[in-house]
Amino acid sequence: MSTSVMSLKLPAEVEFNDVYLGKLLKSTQEQQLFFTPEIADWLQDLRNKAATAVVELRMPSTKDEEWRFTDLSELLQVNFQPATVKLTSDVTRFALPEATQSRLVFVNGVYCADLSDVSAVPEGVYVGNLGNLPQENRGKITQYFSENNLEVFTALNTASISDLAVIWANPNVVEENPIQLINISVGGEGPSFSQPRTLIVAETGSCLQLVEYFVSEECGESKANFYFTNAVTEIWLAANAQVIHNRIQQESKNTFHLGKSAIAQGRDSRYTCNEISLGGKLYRHNLVVRQTGEQTETILNGLTIIKGEQLADTHSTVSLTQPHGNVNQLHKCIVDEKARAVFNGKIFVPQAAQMTNATQINRNLLLSPKARVNTKPELQITADNVKCSHGATVSQLEADEVFYLRSRGLSEDNARHLLIDAFAADIIERIPVESLRQRLTQCFSCLVP
Amino acid sequence: MSTAVTTLVNQPYKYGFITDIEAETVPRGLNEETIRMISALKNEPEFMLDFRLKAYQQWQKMAEPTWPHVNYPAIDYQNIIYYSAPKKKDKKLNSLEEVDPALLETFEKLGISLSEQKRLSNVAVDAIFDSVSIATTFKEKLAEDGVIFCSISEALQEHPELVKKYLGSVVPVGDNYFAALNSAVFSDGSFVFIPKGVKCPMELSTYFRINNGETGQFERTLIIAEDGASVSYLEGCTAPMYDSNQLHAAVVELVALDNAEIKYSTVQNWYAGDENGKGGIYNFVTKRGLCKGVNSKISWTQVETGSAITWKYPSCVLVGDNSIGEFYSIALTNHKQQADTGTKMIHIGKNTRSTIISKGISAGNSKNSYRGLVKMGPKAKGARNYSQCDSMLIGNNAEANTFPYIQVDNNTAKVEHEASTSKIGEDQLFYFAQRGISEEDAVSMLVGGFCKDVLTQLPMEFASEADKLLSLKLEGTVG
Repeated sequence: MSTSVMSLKLPAEVEFNDVYLGKLLKSTQEQQLFFTPEIADWLQDLRNKAATAVVELRMPSTKDEEWRFTDLSELLQVNFQPATVKLTSDVTRFALPEATQSRLVFVNGVYCADLSDVSAVPEGVYVGNLGNLPQENRGKITQYFSENNLEVFTALNTASISDLAVIWANPNVVEENPIQLINISVGGEGPSFSQPRTLIVAETGSCLQLVEYFVSEECGESKANFYFTNAVTEIWLAANAQVIHNRIQQESKNTFHLGKSAIAQGRDSRYTCNEISLGGKLYRHNLVVRQTGEQTETILNGLTIIKGEQLADTHSTVSLTQPHGNVNQLHKCIVDEKARAVFNGKIFVPQAAQMTNATQINRNLLLSPKARVNTKPELQITADNVKCSHGATVSQLEADEVFYLRSRGLSEDNARHLLIDAFAADIIERIPVESLRQRLTQCFSCLVP
Repeated sequence: MSTAVTTLVNQPYKYGFITDIEAETVPRGLNEETIRMISALKNEPEFMLDFRLKAYQQWQKMAEPTWPHVNYPAIDYQNIIYYSAPKKKDKKLNSLEEVDPALLETFEKLGISLSEQKRLSNVAVDAIFDSVSIATTFKEKLAEDGVIFCSISEALQEHPELVKKYLGSVVPVGDNYFAALNSAVFSDGSFVFIPKGVKCPMELSTYFRINNGETGQFERTLIIAEDGASVSYLEGCTAPMYDSNQLHAAVVELVALDNAEIKYSTVQNWYAGDENGKGGIYNFVTKRGLCKGVNSKISWTQVETGSAITWKYPSCVLVGDNSIGEFYSIALTNHKQQADTGTKMIHIGKNTRSTIISKGISAGNSKNSYRGLVKMGPKAKGARNYSQCDSMLIGNNAEANTFPYIQVDNNTAKVEHEASTSKIGEDQLFYFAQRGISEEDAVSMLVGGFCKDVLTQLPMEFASEADKLLSLKLEGTVG
């Protein structure tokens, strides 16, 4: 394969519409020029297109409808530098027992071969980085990068792809065991910036389960520097494919986590997303599902548990284009102290998508007087032969329910915990990985007061 | 789609005639001069001119909103006549008999009789033709109870202190683009003042009629209910059929003090354009009620069937503790109509409650969106909201959207929101057919049942009228 040595194509005098974006992009590309000066032509082409888009775009502000409740001004005050790759502590504490030999580790978006172990991955499934991708898959890879550069953070990520995690299931391969992808952010001298990128391809009739895990090296509320994680994951499901995508975000309280998951679903495919968000200072997940064939099934489960001054924002969009689609979404938020949860769920049902069945529910539990919620479930429907509904609720713990438990001898705290656990269990129990469920339940009980 | 239902929905618009009457208009376009001229024509007090000019200055700095889910060609604000009034006889009118007979006839044709003998005895009417109020009935009878019901121009002459105190207190001059435009150029509207402890003895109503093809109608309604007062107010509107679009940008302000209650009902039937979307009214309206006092209540009920484009969010600002806001709405769109309507419930006081019931029906190629906001402020302890918005689609080119915003800033508030979309199913029609009920009747029964929650909120005479209006509008859509 031919490679080009000239990697950075943006001339120094290019004028960025947004100075901050310009600085981020230039510093990342400079670093890459140093570490990975040689990249394939097609990738260079993709990056150039994205970089051109970034030049025109600007950082969103609360005046943009999509970012109305998520204020990025704090992020803009931090001068982020591309993160360097060095890991000191042991990574195995993040590993799941079910996936000890099907584990990929990326540190600050860069592949760590010595920490990864993919020995148990069956034939027909590739789990690794772009560099080691078998030749036969390599030929097909370009079609799996959508050139959607309208969204500024996705464009920024694409403009500086150097390595990425690739999980690829060949036709009719069924892998029931979970594959774990650990993305670790490791801080450097100053505020650091990393852009993990993942590509998942499930070919016709294949079946995959993925645990996408976002963590920071040091946990807890240490006074370490800020991190900025700008993650993009693309998932392609061909006809009859099935993917279960468990997305766990548990980064430190100093992290700005902006994530995007873009999913394309072919005919008769089934996609399940279990999104759990516990960490981060500011968390935003854009979940975009696009239907490309008939009779797809989309299941989106989400759970956000936040406290302190955290902000967690999930924006999901499901665009149906074909008949007989099924969408089932349940998103729950537990908000304590001065935290704020934001939810915006869009479902588009155009005229072609007759016989669609879509439900969307957002439930919010506010545990303290200063906790806040902004929710906007949204339906846009042009097809008449459909069943669509959505609902949203916001409330605190029911006094009656607490009283009921207390009358049976439980302490106030225990009664509250039991009710909160039950609220969260609804989502946690949908995760098909036993050890992950346990880990989350434990983690969760230390979060809730 | 069976022909029976198609004909059922596509009934022609009955109120599309034009009254040929000599009109007094100001020159086309908008500038400071026009505003001064309108103010002078109406012989307004000084503070009013300042109010208008301030609004005009704000308006110039603002941009037309683009967030509603509607499309229309850009409006040329300099090509609108901002004031048009039927030419007055030289002297002031003393009684109804002196009103131009052509005008009386117009209202007679619309089913609004202005002569008090013929009128239902329990409804007082203020009739507004283009930019001015023609007549207000039962004024004297209402005055006996201390109720003031007149046009806002008259109120400006006779009760300037009340107008000055309340005008712009709920919808400030710079609230939004169309409210600012209205504040600068509004020509007339109704004024209602219910003094302390008075329960208004009859239904009050305003009837709006646009006649001139190039005029925009900018009316302003102000209703004040003092402590313990209560009033029920209804509003109806029609316009002739023109090929061009006319702009209607009204502002309605309601103020409810301690224990007061205001019920505001609208049956909106502006000309909606023909089936290809030519002509029709652009209905860009700002309606807002302020529950200022404790235990006050404001209730909005609307039946929206007309207008090419509707952009309207009757809102309640619940400031007083234990105050109540209600919103009941039916929005029906057919052909190429577009509606982006809903409500805002802003909870500020403790134990405030609100209910939202919205029913959207879209037929033909129309677009119908519900857009609502429920906001629970940090001090709204124990506040409660229940919202339900249902959409019904008739035909497979219609569009129904929901955009509910829920913002909760304290944990004692409780919010519930539900929405669903459905259609008139083949099986439902079949069920009726089995029982010997024709398709048309079945559709109107199904629609009637779908809208029942809202129709029961309307005052009696209006409810039957609205029900009839719905089935007329729907003629010919299913089948």
